[in-house]
Amino acid sequence: MRRAAYVRNRLLLMVFVLFGVTIVIFGMVHFLPGDPAAVLLGDRATAQNIADLHEQLGLNRSMPEQYWMFVSGLVQGQMGTSLAFRQPVNQLVLSRVPISIGLAVYAMVLAAIFTLVFGLLAAANKGGWIDQVIRVVFLLILTTPSFWFGILLILTFSLALHWFPVAGFGTTLPEHLWYLFLPALALGLQLAAVLIRNLRSSVILTMRSDYVRTAHAKGLPERMVLMKHVLRNALMSTVTIFGLQFGYLIAGTLVIETVFAVPGLGQLLFTSITSRDYPVVQSITVVAAVMVIVVNLLVDLSYSFLDPRVTYE
Amino acid sequence: MLTGRRGWFGLFSQVLGAMLLVSACGPNAPTTAPPAATTAPAAGVAATTAPAAAAATTAPATAASNTAPVVLKMARNAEPGIFVPWLIDDNTALFTMGNVYDGLVRVTKDGANLEPALATKWDTSPDGLTWTFTLRPGVKFSDGTPLTSNDVKVSLDLARGGTRTVWKDNYKAIKEIQTPDPSTVKILLNQPHAPLLSELAMFPAWVMQADMAKATEAPGYDDANNWASKGTGAYYTTSWKKGDPVILKRNPNYWKNTPAVDEVDIEYIPDDNTRVLKLQGGEDDVVDFVPFSQLDSLNQQPGVHAMNFPIQQTTFVILNVTKPPLDDKNVRQALNYATDKDAIIKSVFFGQAQVMNAPIPMGTYVDKNSPGYPYNLDKAKSLMAASSVPSGFTLPMVVANNNQDRINTAIILKDEWSKIGVNVDVQQVDSATARAAYHGEGNFNSTPSAWTNDMNDPTEIVNYAMRGGEGSGSFAYWTRYNNPELSAKITAADLEQDPAKREADYVAIQRTYLDDAPLVFIANLGATAAWRDNVKGFTIDGLSYYRFEDVTLNK
Repeated sequence: MRRAAYVRNRLLLMVFVLFGVTIVIFGMVHFLPGDPAAVLLGDRATAQNIADLHEQLGLNRSMPEQYWMFVSGLVQGQMGTSLAFRQPVNQLVLSRVPISIGLAVYAMVLAAIFTLVFGLLAAANKGGWIDQVIRVVFLLILTTPSFWFGILLILTFSLALHWFPVAGFGTTLPEHLWYLFLPALALGLQLAAVLIRNLRSSVILTMRSDYVRTAHAKGLPERMVLMKHVLRNALMSTVTIFGLQFGYLIAGTLVIETVFAVPGLGQLLFTSITSRDYPVVQSITVVAAVMVIVVNLLVDLSYSFLDPRVTYE
Repeated sequence: MLTGRRGWFGLFSQVLGAMLLVSACGPNAPTTAPPAATTAPAAGVAATTAPAAAAATTAPATAASNTAPVVLKMARNAEPGIFVPWLIDDNTALFTMGNVYDGLVRVTKDGANLEPALATKWDTSPDGLTWTFTLRPGVKFSDGTPLTSNDVKVSLDLARGGTRTVWKDNYKAIKEIQTPDPSTVKILLNQPHAPLLSELAMFPAWVMQADMAKATEAPGYDDANNWASKGTGAYYTTSWKKGDPVILKRNPNYWKNTPAVDEVDIEYIPDDNTRVLKLQGGEDDVVDFVPFSQLDSLNQQPGVHAMNFPIQQTTFVILNVTKPPLDDKNVRQALNYATDKDAIIKSVFFGQAQVMNAPIPMGTYVDKNSPGYPYNLDKAKSLMAASSVPSGFTLPMVVANNNQDRINTAIILKDEWSKIGVNVDVQQVDSATARAAYHGEGNFNSTPSAWTNDMNDPTEIVNYAMRGGEGSGSFAYWTRYNNPELSAKITAADLEQDPAKREADYVAIQRTYLDDAPLVFIANLGATAAWRDNVKGFTIDGLSYYRFEDVTLNK
């Protein structure tokens, strides 16, 4: 019961947060120097051409009026029309949401696998050569620029081994999984690098707790101690970071999307900012905000599963 | 479950196995041959590269034989915008439209001349005010509708006077267009205008079906409809939405009868390196905008070719001649002499460019003997000493951050110009901000830029870059240069009918402009592309358009 009320309150709060997000993003993007009509028409356009386009696109209306049009459209589920592509923003953005979410989930699944395997392995062998190797390798992965890392993966797995395609997205679901593997791997490994360090130190810390000492004293096998007693408690901070990373993945994967030519939100956001395509920038920001809020809500809810002592006021 | 160390490795090998399983379950990994290509191009189609004869064949091109369609896959660096020729300035859409629409005439592959396209012959009245074009007989749009002079008139009228056109200025010499019969177009001019043919070869004058063209003017018109194109060109499109590859399908009614490739799929791969990797991996047959740094290494690899096609493109630095001390000609000339162009060509363009000596691109009536500004540090220093700022000054330079070549050029210029006491303050901003900077009055001093000719005649660049004051929409390529004497000479050159005199006029104009140096002239650039061995006939013409009508794809 309390949990249901908690969720309801959080969702109500989300509405206020989104409202704030729209104000901030609208203000920011409109106060940037640069004129979308000038970008669209290029250098040959005369002042008259640009003024005409302003009229056509509704850019000559006052700021409050433009803001009101945006928000009222949003409430009705209409995100306006893209200035650069003259297509409804709904189409542009919502068709990419599943792609970005798919890539994010794929990357997080791989990250989770690597984190659990290598994080626990490193913690269990603390100080040993396995631990050292894991930490060094993942430090290298973390510090490698994602751009270069992506190209390295292409050179190895596409050109040399022919296991995966170079770039693109494919047309059927099996093809999507195949095409997205390398970008998800590039993202997942770099995210795992952070998570592994966190899980490792979290596990090591938890291993020092009294109840673990009790479990050892009772003679439980090591793997049972790790999996049943330590892991769930150690995961709390890792899961928090996991949730934050997912939020970043929704629209922050521009570099990987560019290298692997994945038609996701990151790339669309970047090109829209560059061409000052206000409706698209605003809409992607709102969509991303919704997803970040929902994911963080799920993370908060997961705490009570990991630690039954957590309750919701 | 997991027991000790073996258990962990067991889990990890299961993960590795899953990876291999995913890779095996995916469609077959591409090898070196493109997947969809089949046998040699259909025997029925003559893969001729000869220019179209004046008497065109009326029979539609023989369909490909019963094997699977021949599909050429291309990857390029951008996505197109609106698919109507006179509404845009966007190269990607234009390059695509160049394969879908035609004009009355078109540029030859080397960019040097014009050849018949939809018109097979034309003549001019003695006073130069009336041009009569005879349309090629039997031309049909891709849906089978015959081309008539009305289609030409409607398209051209919209290009020169429609509500949405951005190319009005290029066609202001035209007074009226008449259609005495379905295969004749009469263009009446306000005054004699030698560049008319070049303007008709330019993209805003491409011909759409009259109904489709008129529809674009309707208020609230959805431009997505333009993708169901019906042009007279070698290919047509049916639809497109952002994120999808652009699919060009062979036009069975094409008047030139050549396409051997049934379909061209053009996908958007934004990263330069990834595009090249896709070519090397066999996933694409052709790619454009190959980085200059990779041309030589690609040519050394078996199976691929890369080339730098000469096109009418220049790169330079724009100087705001109203901002002291750039208003002092000595300073502008000093900056030119202090620029070691060979060093820039070597570091930024990997040797794949030529020094820019004439102030306009290498095309019609370029000043072939132009002295340019050979690198001469002593001369630069003495000019600075004689200028209004003998001890040097700080020069802000706005650079758009989406073009690495321009950023690198700015960095090198900072070093080179420091030797004459000029301290370049490089300000990297995003491209829209950079554009706002040089469009506006504000603090704009200088910015690196580039220009590609859109037409095969100097009138475009000369009017855009050298004409200042009234009637100048671009403020002389944003330099704010205004030389009324020169502007008068430009007007006279545009009216001149005798080709030899016209050439002399334009050469004189270029000399004056070169001497006034509102730009720092750097290099003539080409356009790069690469393709696999089994692709033949891919070229980029002098105006940087690529055409697929003569391409063949062998297995």
